[in-house]
Amino acid sequence: MIKLAVLLVLSCTTALTFGHDISADNAQFVKSLLGPAPGPFMYLGAKHMFTGYDHLLFLAAVIFFLYRPRDIFLYITLFTVGHSITLLLGVLANWQFSGQLVDAIIGLSIVYKAFENMNGFVAWGRFKPDTRVAVMVFGLFHGLGLASKLQDYMASQDGQLINLLSFNIGVELGQLLALAVLFSLLLAWRSQPGFAKHAFAVNSLLLCAGLILFGHQFTGYLLA
Amino acid sequence: MTKRSPQRLLASCALAAITAALILLLVVLPAEYGVDPLGSGEALGLLGLSEQQSTALQLQSGSWKSDSFEFQLAPFESLEYKYRLEQGAAMIYSWQGDGDVLYEMHSEPDGAAPGFAQTFAKGRAQSRQASYQAPFAGIHGWYWQNRGSTPIRIVLNSQGFYQHAIEFRGGHEIRREL
Repeated sequence: MIKLAVLLVLSCTTALTFGHDISADNAQFVKSLLGPAPGPFMYLGAKHMFTGYDHLLFLAAVIFFLYRPRDIFLYITLFTVGHSITLLLGVLANWQFSGQLVDAIIGLSIVYKAFENMNGFVAWGRFKPDTRVAVMVFGLFHGLGLASKLQDYMASQDGQLINLLSFNIGVELGQLLALAVLFSLLLAWRSQPGFAKHAFAVNSLLLCAGLILFGHQFTGYLLA
Repeated sequence: MTKRSPQRLLASCALAAITAALILLLVVLPAEYGVDPLGSGEALGLLGLSEQQSTALQLQSGSWKSDSFEFQLAPFESLEYKYRLEQGAAMIYSWQGDGDVLYEMHSEPDGAAPGFAQTFAKGRAQSRQASYQAPFAGIHGWYWQNRGSTPIRIVLNSQGFYQHAIEFRGGHEIRREL
């Protein structure tokens, strides 16, 4: 059963890898749009979140040990507020930054949360970051990542605000959908014996995946 | 949270870091950037994945031609003018009228059912200019109609890798060699 769960998670991640970047056809279409187009932008926001494995891995790591609905609500709200702030500000103020550097930091956000789930900060004993602050701050970086993707698709200033808000709403809908799937899988898995034992191993895998994402994006930043 | 000894934590993190480094060096960096420190990218044939497939430059076959076509449309008169382009052949064009006309830029693929056309742009305007690359072999061009009460003169200028032009007016087809 556990093996099945791990296999399922792994195969989902692999499949999603290919869906992450908005496909060439989508990009071409969106770039040809002039003026407000809430439908397409909302869809792209939802698709980006639901198929964005970097966001998904971070969300999975954040809710990994959250049991009470109140806590899940608190952390997801912090993450949502964080990424919405930088998504909206970044696009409206037309911030220029390296998308790859931001994606590298997003990789590190997964490393951080997986390390914390492995009880790393307790064992290390040097300092214990406030998880709520960390989730919010990393949320800001996830928002910058969303902003840089959206800046690529937005060809015209015409209807920018409506398209931006539509994309943001789409992102939250996609996140809600992704959370529902992730949380159902987690719930089923937690009721299995030996969850605690395997949880450690799975978080090492998450940490490894975060490092690969970091290495991939950071190398791209250095080569650019 | 799980209770683990610091040794176990250290071992797990080290294993994760080494695995990540190996995956990066063996496959990700060669495939994504053509960076191949261990030679694994070449061995696995991954290096081609990161080569730029630029669409900016498209080599063209056929001969380079240019065309200038001027015509007049009486009120409610219409005309179609199309170029013969093979798949991938490119042209740039600019047309200008001395008044607003209804226009439609469309293409008829070879072997398509009569009357079938793929439309790329339509509307009401006095002028339009664009670059166009034929997505399929066939005839590619415009339909103009004067919806006003005075005659309108239109000048079309184009350059491209087309073979000939066909003018459709009043039920007649006139082939123009270029």
